[in-house]
Amino acid sequence: MFKWKKLGRIFNPTDYKEKSWVQEFSQAPSVLIFDKFIRVYFSCRPLPDKNGQYVSYSAYIDLNRNNLFEIIKISKKPVLELGGQGTFDEFGTYPISVIKNGKEIWAYYGGWTRCESVPFNVAIGMAVSHDNGVTFHRLGSGPILSYDPDEPFILSGPKIRIFNGLWYLWYIAGKKWIENKGKPEPVYKIHMASSNDGINWIKQGKDLIKDKVEENECQASPDVIFYKEKYHMFFCYRYSLNYRNKEKGYRIGYAYSDDLVNWVRDDIKAGIDVSNEGWDSEMISYPHVFELDKKIYMFYLGNQVGRFGFGLAQLESYNP
Amino acid sequence: MKWKKLGKIFDPTKYKLSNNCFEFAQSPQTLIFDDFVRIYFSSREKDKNGKYLSNISFIDIDKNFKKILSISNHTVIELGSLGCFDEHGIFPLNIVKDKTKILGYIGGWNRKISVSVDTSIGLAISTDSGLTFQRIGTGPVLTSSLYEPFLIGDPFVANYGNEYHMWYIYGTKWINHSLETEPQRIYKIGHATSKDGISWLKEGKQLITDKLNLDECQAHPTVICFNKIYHMLFCYRQQADFRTNRNRGYRLGYAFSKDLRNWTRDDNVVGIDVSKNDWDSNMLCYPHMFRCDGKIYLLYNGNEFGRFGFGLAVLEN
Repeated sequence: MFKWKKLGRIFNPTDYKEKSWVQEFSQAPSVLIFDKFIRVYFSCRPLPDKNGQYVSYSAYIDLNRNNLFEIIKISKKPVLELGGQGTFDEFGTYPISVIKNGKEIWAYYGGWTRCESVPFNVAIGMAVSHDNGVTFHRLGSGPILSYDPDEPFILSGPKIRIFNGLWYLWYIAGKKWIENKGKPEPVYKIHMASSNDGINWIKQGKDLIKDKVEENECQASPDVIFYKEKYHMFFCYRYSLNYRNKEKGYRIGYAYSDDLVNWVRDDIKAGIDVSNEGWDSEMISYPHVFELDKKIYMFYLGNQVGRFGFGLAQLESYNP
Repeated sequence: MKWKKLGKIFDPTKYKLSNNCFEFAQSPQTLIFDDFVRIYFSSREKDKNGKYLSNISFIDIDKNFKKILSISNHTVIELGSLGCFDEHGIFPLNIVKDKTKILGYIGGWNRKISVSVDTSIGLAISTDSGLTFQRIGTGPVLTSSLYEPFLIGDPFVANYGNEYHMWYIYGTKWINHSLETEPQRIYKIGHATSKDGISWLKEGKQLITDKLNLDECQAHPTVICFNKIYHMLFCYRQQADFRTNRNRGYRLGYAFSKDLRNWTRDDNVVGIDVSKNDWDSNMLCYPHMFRCDGKIYLLYNGNEFGRFGFGLAVLEN
């Protein structure tokens, strides 16, 4: 059982209206740790276009390592341009997950395109930074992880890790689109791939986490950390339809594994839930768990999937 | 090569087609039986918004290619489900006889917003002699990757040396051209290999050099082996103003290889060109070579990308 103490909201994008590309939303926080500060990547959106459609970018804030409530820097611009005409990431780069690889920082992200019969599709792209993660450049204009017979669409939410010298990518894979009276909604599950080099990936090709609330449960943000001799996954899940509310919206789930392949879901041990009131009273989602100076923290999103920012919790206790 | 044209052998507007299709018989693909030849093709219906959906039909024709014995009146393969790569059309369905099964490689089309379409290649299997095909999964077997970002299509699969080879096309860019109102796609011919026909390894290079210019569009490769040389036909065109302008539309090109890796383009020996004034006077496209009773034949489409059918030629030498 994990027990988390909520420390409060760290960043509210609606406080920073002077930056046109970060008007609303700061989603899917992901951390890169430096000597004096931690860099928290997140995804954000300008105001929607005249058709009400958003594009999404990824950016970062730097937090004082000794006081995570002190924002010492906000990125001047998004870390990655949108993709070119007709490419998989023309309309969004969200979410993003980063990792140090020698002197470079490698980023994996969900690239968004728009379709006619369904609103969007997503595939996973990769980009490299040579300036400590301030700007990233694509290796090629296509995705690094794309569709196959059993993963027909919506490959998104990548989380990159290296364990025991092997690269792991946890991500979500679309299973089907539900018609939903002309407003299709996707169903997606948590999958995993592994790699020797971070570029060529072998998919495991199966659903990792059992469904809980319904067969069409949507699972996202599979965030894995090794702690106390076990692999722990925090993720979020929700109902497939009518989920923009407290009852059917996102909650944080939990699973553990000894071998990174077989996972046992046990949400009771997640140890974090919505608050009675405030910015995270209706939903909590997109957990990112990391270790900093011998403490374990979790960034997570609150109401409306991060429209009003992300907050921080600290691990108080853990009993396997 | 020298091809003798035998004329148009099928006009879709003269038959009742399944799936409410009414025009087009594109990308003819063969399955050879003992006493007839089955020719699959892509025909088109219009959906409720007036947009085209390509569906697969076939004819069975005698081995003299003079008498059409039957035409499919059922759904050979369903279009893909909501949101899938082949939701809005199958074009082509490339057929491979494989021991006990018949494989159908799907050129699947789905519509997009900023550009008109994307495509990927899927796999379906027939266990009833090619009457119907069922997908191995709802997603593709060959699709976009780091250096082939979109428009993976036009599969042509053959088995050489215990290995499956696929020739296909991949998009390199979408361009905005002064002669066009919408973005136009550029694509080139690529090659992949596989041990099982399902998991493919892309070679990752443009196989055929450009002739017209860097934005030449190359499509629909078809490969056959004779005299210990692999021969490829394909079609190519200018990137814009190619639909009605005879001088910029599709022509057939040719390349050869001794090792299935290195190809030499030599369009001078393709041995077939547009006619002066006939069904194939403005363009030649979507070639498909096959063997039948010791002869080598070529199916192809003519004017308007095959709106009014396909024709046949036979290799003379």
